[in-house]
Amino acid sequence: MWHIAKRELYDNLNSLRFALATVLLIGLMLTNAVVHLQEHPKRVQAYRDGVAEYEDRLTAFADESLYRLAQKGPGDLHKKPSSLRFCAEGSETDLPRTTEGLIRWTTQTLESFWILRYPPVNTSLGSLRPDATLVDWSFIIGYVLSLIALLFTFDSISGERERGTLRLILANAIPRHTVLIGKFLGALISLSIPLTLAVLMNLLTISTSSNVHLGAEAWGRLSIIFFIALLYTCLFLALGLLVSARVQRSAVSLVILLLVWVSLVVFMPGTLAAIAGDSASPKATHGFYEHSWQLHYALEDQYSSRWREARGDSRKKMEVDGAFVTEDVEQQEHLHEARLKQQVSQVNQARAITRLSPVTIFQHLLEAFAGTGFERHLQFLENVKVYAREYREFVVDTDKADPESLHIIGVREGMSQKPVSPEAVPKFEDTLSFSKDFNTAAVDLLLLALFIIVLLSGVYLAFVRVEV
Amino acid sequence: MLTTLIHRELLDNLMTFRFAAAVFITLLLVVTNTVVLIKDYERRLAGYDDAVKMHQRQLQETNTYSAGEMYVDRPPNPLSIFNVGFDKRPGNEVKVSHRYVPSLWDARRHGSDNPFMNIFTSMDIVFIFKVVLSLLALIFAYDALAGEYEGGTLRLVLTNSVRRGHILLAKYVSAMLCLLVPLLMSLLLAVILLTNSAVISLNNHDFLRIGGIILASVAYLSVFYLIGILISAAARRTSTALMLAMFVWGFLVLVYPNVTLAVIRRLESPQARTASTFNQIQQIWEEFDRKRKHFLATDAFPGEEWHFSVIGGGSLYAGFEDDPGLLRHNYISYTDFETLSDEHEPKIPHAQNYFRFLGRLVTDTADRTWLVRKPALENIYIHPAKVESAWLKLSPVGLYDATTQAWAGTDMHGVRDFFDTVRQYRHQVIGYFYDKDVFGSRAWFSADKGAPDWGSFPQFSFQRVDTNINAKRALPDVSLLLMINVILFIIIFLIFIKSEV
Repeated sequence: MWHIAKRELYDNLNSLRFALATVLLIGLMLTNAVVHLQEHPKRVQAYRDGVAEYEDRLTAFADESLYRLAQKGPGDLHKKPSSLRFCAEGSETDLPRTTEGLIRWTTQTLESFWILRYPPVNTSLGSLRPDATLVDWSFIIGYVLSLIALLFTFDSISGERERGTLRLILANAIPRHTVLIGKFLGALISLSIPLTLAVLMNLLTISTSSNVHLGAEAWGRLSIIFFIALLYTCLFLALGLLVSARVQRSAVSLVILLLVWVSLVVFMPGTLAAIAGDSASPKATHGFYEHSWQLHYALEDQYSSRWREARGDSRKKMEVDGAFVTEDVEQQEHLHEARLKQQVSQVNQARAITRLSPVTIFQHLLEAFAGTGFERHLQFLENVKVYAREYREFVVDTDKADPESLHIIGVREGMSQKPVSPEAVPKFEDTLSFSKDFNTAAVDLLLLALFIIVLLSGVYLAFVRVEV
Repeated sequence: MLTTLIHRELLDNLMTFRFAAAVFITLLLVVTNTVVLIKDYERRLAGYDDAVKMHQRQLQETNTYSAGEMYVDRPPNPLSIFNVGFDKRPGNEVKVSHRYVPSLWDARRHGSDNPFMNIFTSMDIVFIFKVVLSLLALIFAYDALAGEYEGGTLRLVLTNSVRRGHILLAKYVSAMLCLLVPLLMSLLLAVILLTNSAVISLNNHDFLRIGGIILASVAYLSVFYLIGILISAAARRTSTALMLAMFVWGFLVLVYPNVTLAVIRRLESPQARTASTFNQIQQIWEEFDRKRKHFLATDAFPGEEWHFSVIGGGSLYAGFEDDPGLLRHNYISYTDFETLSDEHEPKIPHAQNYFRFLGRLVTDTADRTWLVRKPALENIYIHPAKVESAWLKLSPVGLYDATTQAWAGTDMHGVRDFFDTVRQYRHQVIGYFYDKDVFGSRAWFSADKGAPDWGSFPQFSFQRVDTNINAKRALPDVSLLLMINVILFIIIFLIFIKSEV
């Protein structure tokens, strides 16, 4: 078996495709590293500026009074950029980087409290730049390497059959499966040489730069990503062997493989997403803001009778005011969240269906381990929600601790007027948790493994029955 | 002789597995995607119709001219099914107001779509052709000459008195004929699907444009076929030719566009330029504010507020609003009264006088800021986009994309045409305001003596540009594609003539 693998390896090492693949992969990986080194510091800087602004804001309000803190809220919360974004861009440019704390209205006596809002990215609106898939690992490996894997295997069995060498090999007393495993290993090793070289050069460039720091955890994640990349390569090697074993001529085998590759890798993700997205499209949100104001006015109408009753009694009026402000916030946040939920469920459905294509599975896996992409964005939103709750609880608790306060949340006169120590205010920290990432990735990992097992057993069956 | 050669080649190609596979895969991809794309277009059109209705209703419900917000909506382009280009990208509703000159950067997206769905790549028919046709052309070409060298048949053919140029021509013509079959069949099916759809109406001009797209596709196909032949003639061995062809394909289609953009694209925005232009715009508005205050100070009732302390049933607002990122800074004042009490009646003529003056001043100032704002925005947004698309055109894939976008009218020009029309419409509206003295009318700020007459307003309509303009825009790129064809053919001819058999 090792003998066959070695022979395959030598064959491949001397071939044109090996040289071309090595040059192409190294070139792409170096481009990736250089672009990352340029862009990442800017992203980190933007994030730091955002966080600094947020902290200044909190400190300023905390110095003023608890009421200010409660009314203005934490403002924009920023998503922490991942240091592994060069592995998977995860369409981060199309995902928002912040959530917003919005003050919606003020009247002469009352001010609305902040609500948590999820503004979409609008940067693309003014841009007329051509679309591009960014050159990240998921592109280099998912698209380019998978194509190369097919080019390495399309003739490995059919070519030998054409030349008649297959008959020679099988004439020796080697079991067929050994031949097959030998061929598979040979192709895998000869592909992993350029891949490893390119990855090492990429990582070397990135890690020697002082701009970007990769911690121990990042290296752990990188090794998992590398392992997944190898698995993914195995999938396409198996596909190549399968077709090569079934088809008599290598030219035909290549045509089939290329067309399968084009449909699986290039077209399936987009088409399936469009089909799935279409079927699950949320109802149009025309006049969303109109609707939100209508709800607001309806609430005002509801409260008008209670305000009338409370006329003259300042304490009672304050209570009604407070209840109105609180309920308004709840109602609006509920509205925004419902819309977000609809949008997210549409995307989730589309993402689930696009998993039929192995390249999407691979991209999801890379995104999960690189801490980018849609799942990561959902995690960020979850973090924000937890923080918002914490923040509001902090306000209520601090207010309770102040004996001079009337404990009416929502009204200036009803709440603590004392400044709060800025250190005591809970700070938002966007965290990436490894176990959560692993959970989201488990399904994809299983699917990938399933794909490989099915294909490998297919290859085995096809090769065992092959007529020489 | 030539016909015999073509006949032979044609039969050779037609009977192959790759021909069957080519037809099958193109038809499959084009038909499935066309169905999806038509559905998507229908949804966008429905969204557009809803938005138009909603904006009309909102305008009708407004009580005064000053509070009226006129929105115009950008309809989706039916030819975006062929090449989506920039049709989905910029905002599709824009406010028309005398307060500022509307541009692409002031447009917003109406709420019919889910912004998260942008994370998926969107397909169009040209994208399928871009990837599949080029691949098929190379699959047909890699062994065209190398196979004959290897098989020794070339020597046989040449012993007859056949001219080498004829052999080359015969190969080219027959392979192109074969490759045209999947291209034309799939386009035909796509057009049939399009004409069967209830909501899409294509006129003669659209069919001409589709014809232009077909022409560009043929030129593109031919470029890749010739690249394949070139490799085949130079490599002489099929296996080498195949590997080279595949890597060239991967490089041109997958790698080059993305790598170039990754390398030349910069995230930074020209901050300094933005800031200085914004300052300039602010200064123009400050001057406006001085004039406004001067007017208030020197009229018959010197020293009063902008609203002459007229308070009625309704709301009023005045102030500046700005968006430094988009270089927008403008003055807004609106008054939305349903009722006015009699005690304010004496002040009404003064208010009318002031608003008549203000309307004209705001309009003029907005026009003046546009002169500053337009070049700055072009510099920030249009210039880098042009540089990037110029770089992409170094590869035939980029040329093909650009020329089909121009035909479909979804290119940068096509999108900007709409906003040019919107600016013309704004002129019309302002002309109407002047003609009817809307600024100085009572209905400008109060509805107590009759609501505005929204019905007699000039109507907005947008027509896509003529086909000959589309053709003019597409011409440079198409001719470049054709030129590449000719150059490649000459090179192949020279190599083939000089080659030893």
